[in-house]
Amino acid sequence: MNPAKEAIDWLDRRLGVRELVHKNLGGYLLPRNINIWYTLGAVLLAMFGLQFLTGTLLLVFYVPDTEKAFASVTMIMNEIPYGWLIRYLHVVGSNLIIVFLLAHMLSVLFMGSYKRPRELTWVSGFVLFNLALVFCLTGYLLPWSQLSFWATTVATDAAGAIPIVGDQLVAFMRGGSTVNEATLGRFFALHVMGLPLVFFALIGVHLFCVRRVGISKPPFGDEYRTTEIPLSFHHEEHQDGVPFHPNYTIKDMAMVFFALALLVGITFFAPWLFIPPDALEPADPFFTPPNIKPEWYFLWAYQTLKIFPNELLGLASQGLAMGFLAILPFFDRGLERRPAHRPLFVTLYLLGILLFVGLSLWGHYS
Amino acid sequence: MKKILLTNVLFFGAFVLLTGFSAAASPSVCIECHGGLSGQLGEIPTAEWHTSVHSRSRVSCHDCHGGDPTDYVEAMSADRGFIGVPVYAEVPAFCGRCHVGVEEDYRASLHGQVVEFGGPNCVTCHENHAVQVASIDLINEISCSRCHTYDKPALIKQEISDTEAMLSRLDNSIASLYRVGFDTGQLKDELFSTRNNFRRLFHSVDIDKIRAETAGFDADLEETKATINALEETLGQRKIVGGAFVLLLILGGCIALLIRRTYENKE
Repeated sequence: MNPAKEAIDWLDRRLGVRELVHKNLGGYLLPRNINIWYTLGAVLLAMFGLQFLTGTLLLVFYVPDTEKAFASVTMIMNEIPYGWLIRYLHVVGSNLIIVFLLAHMLSVLFMGSYKRPRELTWVSGFVLFNLALVFCLTGYLLPWSQLSFWATTVATDAAGAIPIVGDQLVAFMRGGSTVNEATLGRFFALHVMGLPLVFFALIGVHLFCVRRVGISKPPFGDEYRTTEIPLSFHHEEHQDGVPFHPNYTIKDMAMVFFALALLVGITFFAPWLFIPPDALEPADPFFTPPNIKPEWYFLWAYQTLKIFPNELLGLASQGLAMGFLAILPFFDRGLERRPAHRPLFVTLYLLGILLFVGLSLWGHYS
Repeated sequence: MKKILLTNVLFFGAFVLLTGFSAAASPSVCIECHGGLSGQLGEIPTAEWHTSVHSRSRVSCHDCHGGDPTDYVEAMSADRGFIGVPVYAEVPAFCGRCHVGVEEDYRASLHGQVVEFGGPNCVTCHENHAVQVASIDLINEISCSRCHTYDKPALIKQEISDTEAMLSRLDNSIASLYRVGFDTGQLKDELFSTRNNFRRLFHSVDIDKIRAETAGFDADLEETKATINALEETLGQRKIVGGAFVLLLILGGCIALLIRRTYENKE
């Protein structure tokens, strides 16, 4: 008698788990020419899981109080066994998540996978990306360092440029006129409870969309043909494809291993890469550090604000750019997905990347 | 179209909250007014102060000159403790409000005894607004020869150079450990105290006293060095473990890819 088999048989008789597993793993066929970029979803899921785990462990010792937050982080780093490792994995992991999210989104854009009928997959993914940025912003304040305090001050300050409701919005975000205890409280609550709930629910929606519509065929190779999209619901099948498990999950696993190697490498050898010196000083509301800069993924936005003569114009341009990206599949309705057949899109795509990198570098060195 | 507009507005709103960054807070009223003036009461001292160790250590104008840095009208009022510029002989007392020990040894020294007659005071060697982190390089032929021959300063420099070099090395080591997240507060305090006491010593400009007491400072520094070495060893061990983990993960990834190859052959 095999207890594991007995247990599975028991479950199978009641929930039909064998059929469910077969349908979603071994019997789930992926396009034969699926490439490495499709593994980024699995890599991100692994990274999110690790963030959840390390974040939960940090919660055991972190104190969300302006008088104690910095000291509690110092204690985690120096007195709690492996506290430094847990915190650095969390910090470095949050930055790598943004890198992988950008790579994931750029690959989806390049291969035209955002197009009809995958608009909802794209929009849910885009919202997830924005939520990840909010995660970073709220998490940034929690150590209550000089960088935390002043970066949050200037970030929340910018909302004041919105006509009519700007001042109220700033006060609402901060829980007062300045960044204070109330700001820390609401950012903490958002970071550890509000955002994770919404985020994980949305990951569920995103994965549901991916599974329900079916994996898009990479638009490369001689055999690729542009096909009409039916008006009614249609699950994209790949009859001659490869099984998701184990054929592709093993590739997912390889990429997860490599991503973790990068994470561990930075954590052990160059954690300072994502921790500027101002993050090592406790917050001092009476001393503004010179040249305070946002995190690398906000540098493009920071520089955009400096370019425009009016802060509202700068904010409007950022909002429009992001808004346009969010609803791109509703504008870009052509069936063609092959990059070589979309010269205008590819040109704009490359210019967009150059603009992002250029503005970020400009922001960094300005 | 309405839906598209609504979505755009929502994302605009969300992104406004996410990405807005602007310039930081305003400086004290001293800098605001004097920075706009020309000459010795304006752009020169303010620009010099910005390059100074005082600026980096958040010691601002009012910390030395008194007054109220938050009030344009009363900033230079005696009622708010404004002192202004001290006369030459009072400079040691002016600086000595913070640098207590150094003032004590300086006053007992030949330099301090002749300050009433135009002898060197603090700013003669350290400058005033552009004051930098004190270093052994302040003792040099050009500077000392303004008043006397360089023979004795050269001897003093020779006596203190090893200890100064050790102070500098330990300072760098502590900064490196601090940068990677170690709580170096106690080490910094210990080194700060030893350095201050050591620098008090050579402000006495008494070569015999310096020779007699330097060994004691060296012993203190050896204790600090032992603590630093222990932390650096911990850091080294962490890197070895981290390196092993990285290699294992890369190996795991490579094995997974090899297994994938076997499936590819079957496909």
